[in-house]
Amino acid sequence: MNYIIIEGLAFALPLFIIAIGGIYSERSGVTNLALEGFQGFGAFAGAAVVMAITGGSVAGAEVKMFFAALLFAMLGGALFAMIHALLCVPFKANQVISGVVINILSTALTVFLTSQINTALFGKPTNKFVLSVCRKFTVPVISEIPVLGAFFTDVYYYQPVIIAVALYASYLLYKSRFGLRLRACGDNPHAVDAAGGNVSKTRFIAVVISGALSGLGGMCFAYSISASFSPGIYAGYGFLSIAALIFGNWKIGPTLGACLLFGFARSGGYKLVQELGLSSAYSDLMMTLPYLLTLLLLMFFSSSNRAPRALGEIYDKGKR
Amino acid sequence: MKKQKNALGSPFKRGFAAVLGNERYQSITVPVFAILLSLLAAAVVLLIMGKNPLTAFASFLQGSGILPKPNYAAKKSMVTDLFSMLNMLTPMIFASLAVAVALKAGLFNIGVSGQMLVSGFAASVLVGYSDLPMGIALPLVLIIGIVGGAAVGALIGWLKHRFNINEVVSSIMLNYIFSYTVSFFINTRFIDPVSRQSRSISSAARLTLTNVELGAIKLDLPLGMLLAIPMAFFVKFLLDKTRVGYEMKVVGLNRRAAEYAGINVGRNIVLSMAISGALAGLAGITFYMGYYNSIQPRVLASLGFDSIAVCLLGNSNPIGILFSSLLITVISKGSNYLSSTANVPQEIAQLITGLILLFSACGTYIRYRVSATKDELRDLKKRAEGIKDEGGDRV
Repeated sequence: MNYIIIEGLAFALPLFIIAIGGIYSERSGVTNLALEGFQGFGAFAGAAVVMAITGGSVAGAEVKMFFAALLFAMLGGALFAMIHALLCVPFKANQVISGVVINILSTALTVFLTSQINTALFGKPTNKFVLSVCRKFTVPVISEIPVLGAFFTDVYYYQPVIIAVALYASYLLYKSRFGLRLRACGDNPHAVDAAGGNVSKTRFIAVVISGALSGLGGMCFAYSISASFSPGIYAGYGFLSIAALIFGNWKIGPTLGACLLFGFARSGGYKLVQELGLSSAYSDLMMTLPYLLTLLLLMFFSSSNRAPRALGEIYDKGKR
Repeated sequence: MKKQKNALGSPFKRGFAAVLGNERYQSITVPVFAILLSLLAAAVVLLIMGKNPLTAFASFLQGSGILPKPNYAAKKSMVTDLFSMLNMLTPMIFASLAVAVALKAGLFNIGVSGQMLVSGFAASVLVGYSDLPMGIALPLVLIIGIVGGAAVGALIGWLKHRFNINEVVSSIMLNYIFSYTVSFFINTRFIDPVSRQSRSISSAARLTLTNVELGAIKLDLPLGMLLAIPMAFFVKFLLDKTRVGYEMKVVGLNRRAAEYAGINVGRNIVLSMAISGALAGLAGITFYMGYYNSIQPRVLASLGFDSIAVCLLGNSNPIGILFSSLLITVISKGSNYLSSTANVPQEIAQLITGLILLFSACGTYIRYRVSATKDELRDLKKRAEGIKDEGGDRV
């Protein structure tokens, strides 16, 4: 049971922060299929900066470098998201197409740059940056409580960071002036325009925020799953978080629920394979669980879902 | 204002408007312009790496058998390379056509990879591992490929119609479900312990005839190519000249209008996804049972995702797709040769492809800039004429 909760949370929280990124972008009216690319590029940027600072060996400064990586992953993700923002907002490109193209570009660019940087640093064109393992901590007294205590046992360092960022992000989205305007841009951009807001600027910022949050999520995945950056980061976490946010009806609270569901379904599946003593090939079968579950749940809930009204529409002042 | 420098606009702008301005040819000129821009960007990258971009581009063509290489191994020639490129081109054409058909109906088939995997796996298991003679095996492979892909496509369309599940989400979910399930079956039943892939299929079931000796040279004959090019024309005919295609396009353009016109929207959504899936299925069998002869577990073919972009580059026009898939295939096929001769990492091919796609996604913007420039030039021209008429005393 503890295993399921600990591993489930470690997977669900990065997914959640990427999904919040998606919510920001989509609530402002910009369809974002590029989350996969953003999180990959963010993870690349964080890992690359760590490599550049330490010269390839993180030993001795793991914690410091860990936080540096998170910071630069957000910056990198935000920078990369500007391409999507640029294409979708001022260039008026089709947002779905732009998203797909950005994913392709992100994979190509990071693989290419990783081998270039590795050649420059170590003389070997490998496609991997080896990072340190993310440290964990256990809250003393509280972790003793049965079941609930598992939430406070073996917590990765990034988990509190994500929770803090997520809290601030939901405050910004739901309680601030900027957030109100952002949500209005997704539902009725003409009203925002009439009220004196700047639709293009708001949407641009929203996409950049979504890049920063996805970058953070990607970096956490890089640390928790393989303790390294490699093309393996493009394993569909971005797409899974899109499913989570649609399932969560474009709201932060329910999206958290969806992410936890994915996380627990995944760790539960692994645990089941272990308990039954099945060969590792069966873990492949268990890996399908979160996706199957999503499809099934979407069948029941999709019809009541309401996407932001102006989602995917290019804002045109002259149109009514 | 700076504009006063030249009453008729700068020569650059005039050239820009003259080359790209004709709206009739914009469907060709704009993608070509985007490709040129991206090749320029790629050239800059190559220059930064200290390589000569012209030799690099030439080796793309050499590697894919369009230009001759300086020397060849025994029994190989330019024709060998050309056919090897065509072998890779075949699934790309089918996959891009699959995306195009769905796109016409306003649906985004991002699940081409998954559909490819299902049909490739089904055909491998049912026919590839049997001892059927070629005359029976090949038609069976085709049928299984088409049916398998169409079934998955139809499922996605049905989920969209019946449960309002966004096709992008459901096809991504299905992609992963198929990828892991197929990987499970390969690992438990069909694994080749040496290559860690599925066992090779029998050569009688393979859609590519390998190592055929023609005169003094050996080459791989992709039989699927015989179907791919006619299929592009057939899809064009289907979309432009038939009732089915017309209804699909109306549904794609305006679902509500289609409904009021008495078109069965649900049926059309399912049908177009089924056709799209069938084409993806053809891509799957020509990929896994032609270009390759085995399946790597846990890997979705990146070709399925690239095809989306190839389709867009070809303006989602079946004939345009023939050209755009040729371009992208030449780049990725030629990159092997490039990396071996010029010591450039092979990943540069993906990067160039990415750049091409990025710039072609800007197509709308390029079009918008062209018309804005045209308007500006027209204004300037009018003003210049006005100045002449009024004796030049206007500011």
